[in-house]
Amino acid sequence: MTGNAVYIYSNEQLQYKFHDDHPFNQQRLSMTNDLLTETGALNKAEMIPARKATVQELMLIHDEDYIQAVINASEGQVKSSYRTAYGIGTDDTPAFPEMHDAASWLVGGTLEAVDQVFEHGYDHALNLGGGLHHGFRGKASGFCIYNDSSIAIEYMKKKYGARVLYVDTDAHHGDGVQWAFYNDPDVCTLSFHESGRFLFPGTGHVNERGHGDGYGYSFNVPYEAFSEDESMLTLYKAALREVTEYFKPDIILTQNGADSHYYDPLTHLCGTINLYHEIPKLAHELAHEYCDGKWIAVGGGGYDIWRVVPRAWSLLWLVMSEQTGMINGFLPENWVNKWRAASPVNLPGYWHDPQGIYPEIPRRNEIEKKNERTLLNALKPIYQKNKKHVF
Amino acid sequence: MNVSDIMIRNIFTAEPDMAIGDALELMKKKHFRHMPVTDSSGTMIGIISDRDLKEASPSIFEGNHKDYMNRPISDVMVTNVITALPMDFAEDAANIMVENDLSCLPVENEEGDLVGIITETDLLKTFVKLTGAANPSSRLEVEVPNESGMLCDVSVLIKEHRMNVQSVLLYPSSEKPDCKILVFRLSTMDMRPLIETLKKQGYNVIWPRELGITL
Ligand SMILES: [Zn+2]
Repeated sequence: MTGNAVYIYSNEQLQYKFHDDHPFNQQRLSMTNDLLTETGALNKAEMIPARKATVQELMLIHDEDYIQAVINASEGQVKSSYRTAYGIGTDDTPAFPEMHDAASWLVGGTLEAVDQVFEHGYDHALNLGGGLHHGFRGKASGFCIYNDSSIAIEYMKKKYGARVLYVDTDAHHGDGVQWAFYNDPDVCTLSFHESGRFLFPGTGHVNERGHGDGYGYSFNVPYEAFSEDESMLTLYKAALREVTEYFKPDIILTQNGADSHYYDPLTHLCGTINLYHEIPKLAHELAHEYCDGKWIAVGGGGYDIWRVVPRAWSLLWLVMSEQTGMINGFLPENWVNKWRAASPVNLPGYWHDPQGIYPEIPRRNEIEKKNERTLLNALKPIYQKNKKHVF
Repeated sequence: MNVSDIMIRNIFTAEPDMAIGDALELMKKKHFRHMPVTDSSGTMIGIISDRDLKEASPSIFEGNHKDYMNRPISDVMVTNVITALPMDFAEDAANIMVENDLSCLPVENEEGDLVGIITETDLLKTFVKLTGAANPSSRLEVEVPNESGMLCDVSVLIKEHRMNVQSVLLYPSSEKPDCKILVFRLSTMDMRPLIETLKKQGYNVIWPRELGITL
């Protein structure tokens, strides 16, 4: 495969589908594969298939009774008590046939990415079917059933003794992963997201810094609603560099939700496609600087599947496989023609967004100022530690 | 919500003859900032805080620093301690703490036995719980006329959308005296169907809102 990166995908990952009107829509995977193929940046024959995670592997994080409930729900046996006990059967995560299998294939893709890096010598691996960061040990939440990233992190710890830095740039707080490792000093979580005052799930406050031995290994950088590229990227670049330098991970796992874009219907941020070009660049650079290149990337949220996700995730692969030179401004005509008819909105013709896709932001300076203050607050444990070393 | 609902029951106490140095060390190890002092019968006779102990301490470079650390805590403890009763309302306890500038409040039952303690942190945690942000949820803010039945009307729509309410706040609008603000936290990631219904029925949805519409 291209350079030192592998692309992981299986058609089984498309089966993760609640129903036709649900915002979580895996057609985004097909559209991304297609865009990359038409661009000439991905050869379908070279994709590495995902696998289905075993129940044993799911149990690295999840409770047995919860997994059993998901299996039962897959077979049509949904009890009404599942709604509050396990979060299954709600409007966010309704039951669907084979949901256990479909969710296990998403997890297996991320585990395959881990093995490709640790056993097959690749520097980077990408599983866009992963990134289901809201899944809890014993409860489905926010469209997520099994938490592939939490499972993969525990798997890397147990199997390879790795210290993992988890970086989450989805517009929603990476709560499931944070709480799974909240007491663990060998896993550092860093989440950038729209502030919980404005957006689901409500957590991800700067003062959630970890607990017990894990204190100081959980970082949160919440953005004000209507934050823009420049402000978000300033915080992202500063925090990611500081935290990587401080934690010195063996490997970086990035969750690449593509829902901070202005077009995303579920969130209130004002990102553009530029965000999704810049975010992987720095992760890539730091993986080479600190982790001998080890970098795994997964997908995540992203609810404008027409105008945002295919471009955003294609850029992630282009950066990872060092093929950004293939971008020449225009999207491949074949791709636009193929998907135009099905799309309810005008498909973009360019890789990057033009100026002015959103109206003037009221109180822009106030938003930027608040974000700057958040950054300093979020990194406080690092500044304090550094001071201690100096004196 | 009563004091007994939020207080910590598992408390460490110190005896009056404990050395100041030992007390400081114990508090540091256990991450406490306060310790009630009890006599042999278990009655509270005072309270110490790490801040008070440190502030009273001579500098480490002065000769009497070591003497100070060996003195008993009964020499420096606060003796007229303000306490709460288990059945006091949580908001009253919070008021007492604010008014007296206290960062902790021991709880005694009617017999005078020490049964618990409340700290600033507990109150903050309770506040987070009350506002519902501890459970995965989205925030809905609606402005309604100051009339009877509005909370019910909005709740019915929430119920019709099968959304579970994690918390509700209701308070008068600071800008419009004839309006109230309802703030819900709902366990859903996608509020769009509900927002559409609310807008169709003429409700003024303050959050979530779109860009470009200033209030
Ligand atoms: Zn998201």
